[in-house]
Amino acid sequence: MKEKVQLDELSSLAENLVAFAKAAGADEVEVTIADGSEFSVDLRLGKIESLVEAGSRHLGIKVIKDMKTTYATSSDLNDGTLKRLIQNAVKRAAYGSHDEYAGLPASMPEKIDISPLKLFDPEIKELDAARKIRLAFETERIALEDKRITNSHGASFVTNGVKTILANSKGFLGSYDQTFCSLSVGLQAGGTDDKVEDYWFSTERFFKDLEPPETIAKKAVERTVRQLNPRKIQTQAVPVIFEPTMTAWLLGFLFSCISGVAIYQKVSFLTDRLGRRIGNEKITVIDDGLMPNKLGSRPFDSEGVPCQKTTVVEKGVLSSYLCNTYAARKLKLGSTGNADGTGVSPNNFYLIPGSVSPQDIISSTKKGFILIRTIGHGLNPVTGDISRGAFGLWVEDGEIAYPVSEVTIAGNLEKILNQVEMVGNDLEFRTAVCGPTIKIGELTVAGE
Amino acid sequence: MIAFEDHFHLSKTELGKILSIALSKGGDFAEVYAEHRIYSFINMEEDIIKETAESISLGLGIRVLAGEMTGYGYTTDLSFEKITNAALSAASIASSGMGSNAFRFKKVKPKANVYAVSDPLHLTELKKKVDLVKEAYLACQKTDPKIKKVKVLYQDQIQHVSIVNSEGLMAEDARPQAKLVCYAIAEKKNRKEFGYSGGGGRVGLEYFNQVLTPQQTGQEAAEEALKLLEAVEAPAGEMPVVLAPGHSGVLVHEAVGHLLEADFNRKKTSIFWDKMRKRVGAPLVTIYDDPTIPSFRGSYNIDDEGTVPQKTLLIDKGIVTSYLQDRLSARLMNLPLTGHGRRQDYTCTPIPRMSNTYVERGQDDPEEILKSVRRGIYTEKLEGGQVEDSGKFTFTISSGHLIEQGRLTAPIKQVTLIGTNIDILQKIDMIGHDLTFGLQTGTCSKEGQEVPVADGCPTIKISLMTVGGQA
Repeated sequence: MKEKVQLDELSSLAENLVAFAKAAGADEVEVTIADGSEFSVDLRLGKIESLVEAGSRHLGIKVIKDMKTTYATSSDLNDGTLKRLIQNAVKRAAYGSHDEYAGLPASMPEKIDISPLKLFDPEIKELDAARKIRLAFETERIALEDKRITNSHGASFVTNGVKTILANSKGFLGSYDQTFCSLSVGLQAGGTDDKVEDYWFSTERFFKDLEPPETIAKKAVERTVRQLNPRKIQTQAVPVIFEPTMTAWLLGFLFSCISGVAIYQKVSFLTDRLGRRIGNEKITVIDDGLMPNKLGSRPFDSEGVPCQKTTVVEKGVLSSYLCNTYAARKLKLGSTGNADGTGVSPNNFYLIPGSVSPQDIISSTKKGFILIRTIGHGLNPVTGDISRGAFGLWVEDGEIAYPVSEVTIAGNLEKILNQVEMVGNDLEFRTAVCGPTIKIGELTVAGE
Repeated sequence: MIAFEDHFHLSKTELGKILSIALSKGGDFAEVYAEHRIYSFINMEEDIIKETAESISLGLGIRVLAGEMTGYGYTTDLSFEKITNAALSAASIASSGMGSNAFRFKKVKPKANVYAVSDPLHLTELKKKVDLVKEAYLACQKTDPKIKKVKVLYQDQIQHVSIVNSEGLMAEDARPQAKLVCYAIAEKKNRKEFGYSGGGGRVGLEYFNQVLTPQQTGQEAAEEALKLLEAVEAPAGEMPVVLAPGHSGVLVHEAVGHLLEADFNRKKTSIFWDKMRKRVGAPLVTIYDDPTIPSFRGSYNIDDEGTVPQKTLLIDKGIVTSYLQDRLSARLMNLPLTGHGRRQDYTCTPIPRMSNTYVERGQDDPEEILKSVRRGIYTEKLEGGQVEDSGKFTFTISSGHLIEQGRLTAPIKQVTLIGTNIDILQKIDMIGHDLTFGLQTGTCSKEGQEVPVADGCPTIKISLMTVGGQA
């Protein structure tokens, strides 16, 4: 991957620090630099609340000496500070323990072509402040036209740009630029003592792909007002329909249970379950870091391992854990290109959609609960147990009857994945972890 | 002044120049916040010291207020040129006003030093800290052969903060913080359960010898995991809930504290905005937030705007008496500062936050409280919660018991409770005289900003609350 070309300032810094650490006694070294810029405007009830514009740099160092690993990070890129940090890290190895699984990836890629991924939009840097402010302003203005909306949490427009540079002592030097932009609005409806609230957003890498203010505003209004005048329900076990945002939430929990780190640490109920059934035939889950344009894509992970497409669950059978190099060595598997700092993170992690429309899923339900939001904690990867505060809509005879609040849902991830009766056709990559509408046979909804 | 020179190499003259640039387009107020943090981190798992780390966080943020608007810029590069750019970014919010270029700085004097440290951890050699970690790990492991997995995390930091503003305020603080936590997994047949304990605060090395030993932390984590091996499913539905003293303070943090933060009330999004000096809870409920409790995790000598904080009475015998204020909300609401303007770090603007929140002790005997419940649940440890402006809140119990015929019986599995705050505050019908604080390991998240907090409460009985178990 290394050719003798003119390196930019930060790539040179990364390479120089790798060389410095080697000279200071490190056996292996990895240096990561993130060079970021941020713009955000928050406004509320038509007035700007805050305007932030900033730049920041962060550097991370991993040192391995005598099979002992130490880390350092710094936002102070002063040469003296960085050299001292590296010397300390090398010295600190003495306090660590010999770890036969420590070390950089065994082999590094020759060359990674980052151009097909389309992660960087040059237009974002050129957007003028007035236009960005206007987008947030318009989104909130349209939402507030609806008389049922009684207050606003405000609208925001945010852009980020990050250059990531990675160099290591195996001769790897790679970098890529990426951008994000996001438009969102949060609303309240109802009076002081019977408030309901929700929000909606659009996040994209390319400005041209961002949803227009009308779409976001209308969706936020609809999501908020549909919760007005909720009822309490009796405690019961009923079919539960997960909206796409809730399927995404469930998949986020699945990710934490199939992360190679949780598996080798044996803190997941899915430990030792590779090749075994964990859900029914309707469940196929993919992790794919190479989808052009998508929020969870990246050319290589935080260790320089190329990203890939991995089938995690195939027709209900657990087919792969997602690993960094360390977890992979522990589990005698290969890295899947999911390294993120000392842990793992999902790339684009999604449930393959089915062919039924969300409307048909609701129509098929005689009596049930549509889960629209959850609050609180209550996910236990050791057991797979789920217990959360919930908001939803009650379904009777295939139609939405009324909103429900102040209930909790309780269940178990494996039981839920085995009870998926229908999978919707409405998958959208709005977030890196995502899924379509799904219907679960039965879950406990606790109310009065 | 010393800190600005030492840590950030900025003289009084330069700070004055930066403030002038920040106010060059107008605006009512400008402020420079500089931060330098040094962290040390140790992770032990699978019987080895797996990682040690050292981190440095250095940065500076500049804020300009113009009416209700905030302009903010920050940088990790403390060259005068980059700081000037950040000041210009912040300045762009204003379009009218006087500006200023003459500042006379007067140093803020904290009332007391709440950092009870005699042996600072950031100056302690790594070996001693590694020993603390190993001690907790081994204590946990040897509690019982059913303990199959242990993990211990240690972190300490020293955070130097320097603040100047256009009103002439100059303040500085050097805040220590430490945390040692232990996680345990116990296994019996096919069942696995998870336990957790920990402690820390604004403390030094002596804390781990005198107040909470690593051994104690390790054993407590093991005991919780072992207890949960015997846990039964919690019942579902509405029932009386008794909160154990200490860690149940999370409930007050969620149900009351957040919605009394001034920003939500200034914007009228909180259910409390029109309830100042009105009754919202039973007359036996009194709630404080106090950033001045020595050595507590949520304490500080000055807040992140340079305000000297004070113990703040939030709910007095069921009546709302104060909001938690930062500078922006206090000015716009024309109310006094309380010293609750906090920020995660230099990348963030300060917002009103809690520090150490607790329910004042009551009159009841904790035994009598239990005896009054025929069938309900007893919450010992809460793993966290969340609240919405509407007052709907949840919290999840990680360990607790059933109450049957006035006595604690079987331990119960993880379960989530949900309620509406004013409703629950009115349903509090007994409060014990046994005020206790929870683990000094809590972190509160709001608008993406995390800050250290603590909370506490005596034994409390809620006459009826929705519990979500498995029916």
